[in-house]
Amino acid sequence: MDKESYKVIEESLIREVAAILSKDPGLIEPEIPLHEMGMDSLGFVELLVVIEKKFKIKLMESGLTRNDFRTIRSLSSKIGAVELSR
Amino acid sequence: MIALPYSKSKRHLTGIDWLVHVLNHMTIKETGAGFMSQVVIEVAGDVNTFEIGNALNTFIKKHPIVNGYFSRDINLAPYWKIPPAKKSEISLDTVTVKEGESFDVILKSLEKGVNTLFKNKREHIAFHILTGGGRSYIAMTFDHLLFDARNAEAFLNMFQKEWDGRENFGNMVFTEPAHLSRWMDKFKAGQRVNRAFIKIAGKATPRVFPLPSGKKGFKFRVLSFGRKETEAIAENAFNEAGYLMFMPYALAASVYALHEIFTGRGISSGDYVIPVSIDTRKQEEITKQLFFNHVSFFIFKAGASDAGNFQGLLKSIKEQMYTQVKSDLPGDICKASLLMRIAPASLLGRLLKLYFKGEIASFCFSYVGKTAYTSPYFMENKITNIFHMPRIPVPPGIGIFFQQSNEKLNVILSYLDGMLSKDEEEIILTSLKSRLGVE
Repeated sequence: MDKESYKVIEESLIREVAAILSKDPGLIEPEIPLHEMGMDSLGFVELLVVIEKKFKIKLMESGLTRNDFRTIRSLSSKIGAVELSR
Repeated sequence: MIALPYSKSKRHLTGIDWLVHVLNHMTIKETGAGFMSQVVIEVAGDVNTFEIGNALNTFIKKHPIVNGYFSRDINLAPYWKIPPAKKSEISLDTVTVKEGESFDVILKSLEKGVNTLFKNKREHIAFHILTGGGRSYIAMTFDHLLFDARNAEAFLNMFQKEWDGRENFGNMVFTEPAHLSRWMDKFKAGQRVNRAFIKIAGKATPRVFPLPSGKKGFKFRVLSFGRKETEAIAENAFNEAGYLMFMPYALAASVYALHEIFTGRGISSGDYVIPVSIDTRKQEEITKQLFFNHVSFFIFKAGASDAGNFQGLLKSIKEQMYTQVKSDLPGDICKASLLMRIAPASLLGRLLKLYFKGEIASFCFSYVGKTAYTSPYFMENKITNIFHMPRIPVPPGIGIFFQQSNEKLNVILSYLDGMLSKDEEEIILTSLKSRLGVE
């Protein structure tokens, strides 16, 4: 997967996180931890559901590790890696 | 004169507001007092009760909505009748605390406040102030007909902002449409909720504690964790449940703790059914939707056979949460409940019990994230903690409530007096602390 594809995933996640948090997508920084942006358990599960619908990846059953899920950037990498392994 | 839908003298009730009226009716029937709660602001230093009383009176008189009451339109849509500005004073009682008084004594006094009936159908908030010995507690008992837990905090936060001279919130207009259109959407949502509830309910009655006889008040235990302990609990939640999975973790810990008591009493029939209230608003929407209830629910089922296995329990709760978010059960409950507004509270109370064979739930659970009271002060005094003392709807009459204030976690056990023994109360708290990893 090339850099451009990761960028597309990241931009898509920024839009989704902005919608969940009712924020302007321009204010969403991909490197800021989701909990610092005000995301809670419910919002996070909503995001995982959107990821399943968009990318056909069910992440709830994975370990939900901090390294993979803490920021939009790390989450984009996780999704990219799963797509690559298919 | 015909009141307009967006009139200043009325605000239509949503389906969830009506559901709260039903729970209020059921709770009054069983206990003599309604579905009320209390938010307690603990501050450093003694307070001037006269000054607080005056400031609260001035503020609350600007919001006649707090003295409203239920009524119905000619088309039967229920609404909150907002009277003209109030002239009478707020209810406020004060208690002097002795130096070094134990928290148990303070809690007993606070319990008295939250278990006291409002004076009449127009009173929905009352204040109790405990002060002396270098610390004070400002408690606002509130009717859930008027506020959910976060709104009660936000209302006091608004008072503080006015006190600080930062903002003036007078002449607010709160509107809600009558929701008398798009019936097919509501019926379809009702169908989905019905199917989901039947599936969750299963064939057996949920596992419940028997209700004590007579009209009893609620008892409370408050576990307040310091900043370091709260951080340790968050870390444990992350390690055991995953990133941002605190709510499922806290719920699993609560089921695990209560399971010990059921097992100890030899109650072995049925599974656990737990309604979990969730806020349906974003943080910035709180001040725009300051009054009434902006919550919906997840309904979790914990198999009795899984309840002693924490990891299995956690996995099942996470899966159910995911499935219910995916099918938008909380959204469907909001839509479907709009259909129920036609039914009188007494009838609807009976209908709700049909799903769960005469019961409602095993216990109630709620996790209110960070407090909506953002100021570090109450008037001039530094806040040391904010916690809630909710009277749980009866049935089930018992619940566990997690809430955060100033990066400190509070866990509150609330139950109908006589439902648990002193030993059982201790077992629950010890088990919760142990499960959260902060013995």
